[in-house]
Amino acid sequence: MAKYLLKRIGQSIFTLAIILSLVFVMVRQMPIDGYFDNIDKLTPAVIEATLDKLGLNDPMLVQLKDFFLNLLKGDLGVSARYSKDVPIIEIVANKAPVSLTLGLIAMAVSLVLGIPLGAAMARSKNKFWDKFGTLFIVLINAVPSAVYYIYIQSYGSTLLGVSMLFERDNWVTWILPIFSLSLGNIAYYAMWLRRYMVDELNKDYVRLARAKGVDTKKITMRHVFRNAFVPMIQYIPTSLLYTVGGSIYVESLYSIPGMGGLLVDVITKQDNPMVQAIVMIYSCIGIVGMLLGDLLMAVIDPRISLTKKEGAR
Amino acid sequence: MKGIKDHVSKPLENSMFEFAAYDSAAAEKAGYSNYSYWGSTFRCFLKNRVAMGLLILLAILLVFTCIQPLLPGQYKAKLVINHPITGMQMMNVRPGLTNVQAKAEAGVVLTVTPWEDDKWAAVSNVIETIPKRNEFTVLEYGADFCKVDYKGTVGYVKNDFTTKLKLPEDFENTPYKAKSNFNVSLHTTPAELTYKGDELFVLKESIEMQADGTAIAIKEAELRLLPDVRPFLFGTNNAGQDLWAMVWSGTRTSLLIGIVVAFCQAIIGILIGVLWGYVRSLDRLLTEVYNVIDNIPTTIVLILVSYVLRPGISTLILAMSATGWVGMARFVRNQIVIIRDRDYNLASRCLGTGTFRIITRNLLPYLVSVITLRMALSVPGAIGSEVFITYIGLGLPINIPSLGNLINVGRKLLSSGSSYQLLFPTIVLSIITISFYIVGNAFADAADPKNHL
Repeated sequence: MAKYLLKRIGQSIFTLAIILSLVFVMVRQMPIDGYFDNIDKLTPAVIEATLDKLGLNDPMLVQLKDFFLNLLKGDLGVSARYSKDVPIIEIVANKAPVSLTLGLIAMAVSLVLGIPLGAAMARSKNKFWDKFGTLFIVLINAVPSAVYYIYIQSYGSTLLGVSMLFERDNWVTWILPIFSLSLGNIAYYAMWLRRYMVDELNKDYVRLARAKGVDTKKITMRHVFRNAFVPMIQYIPTSLLYTVGGSIYVESLYSIPGMGGLLVDVITKQDNPMVQAIVMIYSCIGIVGMLLGDLLMAVIDPRISLTKKEGAR
Repeated sequence: MKGIKDHVSKPLENSMFEFAAYDSAAAEKAGYSNYSYWGSTFRCFLKNRVAMGLLILLAILLVFTCIQPLLPGQYKAKLVINHPITGMQMMNVRPGLTNVQAKAEAGVVLTVTPWEDDKWAAVSNVIETIPKRNEFTVLEYGADFCKVDYKGTVGYVKNDFTTKLKLPEDFENTPYKAKSNFNVSLHTTPAELTYKGDELFVLKESIEMQADGTAIAIKEAELRLLPDVRPFLFGTNNAGQDLWAMVWSGTRTSLLIGIVVAFCQAIIGILIGVLWGYVRSLDRLLTEVYNVIDNIPTTIVLILVSYVLRPGISTLILAMSATGWVGMARFVRNQIVIIRDRDYNLASRCLGTGTFRIITRNLLPYLVSVITLRMALSVPGAIGSEVFITYIGLGLPINIPSLGNLINVGRKLLSSGSSYQLLFPTIVLSIITISFYIVGNAFADAADPKNHL
C-alpha cells in the first residue's frame, strides 16, 4: 500500500512538472504584447529593458529554472494587463474561494441528485423513471453544455425572478450556476450507477436473496446499491474535471468573481503571465483531483489490486 | 424397371441446376448458420426505429447542408443585405415564410419614391415626417391611429409607445393640438405600410401611377421588404445578413471541424493505440505519457492551444485533435492487448505473417464497430467544444460563420427580443448532436454480437 501511495504521488509530481514546463514553454511562444500594458506607446529601448527585467531574453532553460525556483517560493509573477503589477497570487487568492465553494456545492448536489436518479432508473427498468432518466442523460450528453447553460440562465432567472448575474450575498442567485454546473455530473453519475446496478441485479446472490424471500426494496438498498456504489468512486475525479471545465463557462456567464471568469477575462485581455498562472493552477487541480480519487479508490475498495492497476486500466 | 426408364428418359431441365432459395428453417435443421456479422449488425440497427429515423434525418440534413448554396432562391451567406434606397442594413428582420411586410388593399393610395426599376416600385404610405415637438391638430382620435392635420395635410399618425403622442386628458374631445417628442410619420391610411419608415417594394403591375406622383393599388398589392421574392426564413441577424444562409454556412463549418477532428482523433488514436498495445517495449513509455495527458483537464489544453495559436479552423482542429485522441488510443490499446495473443494471431506469427499484416488483417477488423462509435460521438463533442471556445473569445473570427459564432451572437441578443437568432442555430445544432449521439450508440449496440440473434 505504502509503495503504491509513494509511486502514485511521485507520478503526480512528475506529471505536474511536465505540464508546468509545457505550459511555460507554450506561453513563451506568444507575441510579447501580452507582457505590456500598452506596447504602442513604448519605445523599443523601454521594451527591451522590460523584457530583460522579466527575464524573457534569457535562454529558455534559464527561464524555466528561474520559473521553478520562483514557484517553490510561491511566486507566480505579476499581472501585466489585467491589473498591472499586482502579484498574481493575490488576485487568485481573492477569486479562488468563490470557485471552490461553487464547485464543491455543485459536486455535492450532483451526488445527491444523480445517485437517487440512477438507483430509481435501475429499480424501474423500462418504466417511467428509467425512460425519463435515459432521455435526460441523452439530452445532457448530446447537447453541448454551452448551449443549455444559456437557456438555463435566461429562462431560469426569469422563473426565479432574479437578475441574470451573480450576487454573492443573495443566495437565490447561487441556484442557477450550481444547477448548471451539476447537470452534467448528475447525468454522468446516474448513467454509471444504473449500469452497475443492472449488472449487479443479474448476479446470483441477488437471485438467491430473492429465492429466500427478501423483499425487493431491501435487496436493492442493502445488497445491490452497496456493491454498485463502490466502483462509482472512480468517477469522482473525472466529474471533478468536468466541474472545473464547466466552471470556466458558467462563472463567466454569470459574472461570478471566481477563477473561471478570471481566466476568460485575462484571455480577452491577453495577459500572458495571468493566463499561464491560471492554466497551471487548473492543471494542478486536475492532477490533485485524480490523485485523490485514485487514493480514495485504493482505500475504499480492497478488491482492487494496486500493483496490477496500471496496465489494465 | 419401367419407373427408372421413365426417369432417365426425362430431359434434364436447366432449372435443376440453379441454386435453391435460402430457407432458414431448413438451414436450422441441417445445423448450418449463415451468420454474417455485418448482416446481423444491420438487422439489429434496423430494429431501432428511433435511431433509424434519426439516421435518415441526419443524412437529409447533411445532404441539405452541402447543397444549400446551390439551391435556387438562396441569399449568399455573409452578404450584408442593404435597403436599396436608404442603403441601411436590413437588421433583425423577423423570420417569416415570405418577405411580404404588408398588404395594401385595392384603392389604397401609396406614395411613390422615385427609383429606377423595370419591375418594382418603391412605395410607402408615408406622406411626410412630422419633426419632433412640432404641433399638429388631431381631427379624430383612434386607439391605433389618429387622424391629424399637419400644416394642411390630412393623414394618420400611429398612436402607440413608439410615437408617444402627447394628448390632453380629455382625448376623445377632438379637435385639439398635440405633439410628440419623436419624429412621427404621417400616413395616408390608418395602417403602417412601411418598414421602419423606409420604402417597401411592390410589383409595378399591381399599382397604377397617378399624375401627382402617388399610386393607387389596383388589386391587393403585396408590399415586400426588398425588390425580391426570396423570404428570410430565419430572419436576418444584427449585421443584416440572412440567418438562414448563415446557419447552413455555419453548419458546414462546424460539421467540417467535427468530421475532420473525428478522423484526426481516429487516425492518431488508432496509430498510437496499436503501437501501445502491440509493441511491448513501448508499453511502459506510452502508459506514462497517457497518465500525464489524462490528468490534464481537456478544456485547459483546448484553451491553451487556441490561446497560443492564431484563431482559425486549423487551430481549432489541432486543439481538439490534440486532446481527443487519448481516449481512442487507450481503447484501441486495451482491445489489442486482449486479442493480440489469441491462438489465431500466434499461428499467424508462427507462419511468418508480418506485423503490419497482422494488425490490419487480424486485429483492426475487430475494432471497426467501436471505432466508428467513438468517431460518431466525437463529432458532437467537437461541435460543442467549438461553441465553448468561441464563447471565451478564442474561436473562429466573426467573418467565418460557424454554429459557435452564431450562438455567441444570438446569446447577446437573447434579452433584446431577437431570441430567434439564438433559437435557430441551437435547434440545428441540437438536431445534429443528438442524432450523432443516438445513432452512434444504437450502432454500437447493434455491432455488439451479444445483441445479435
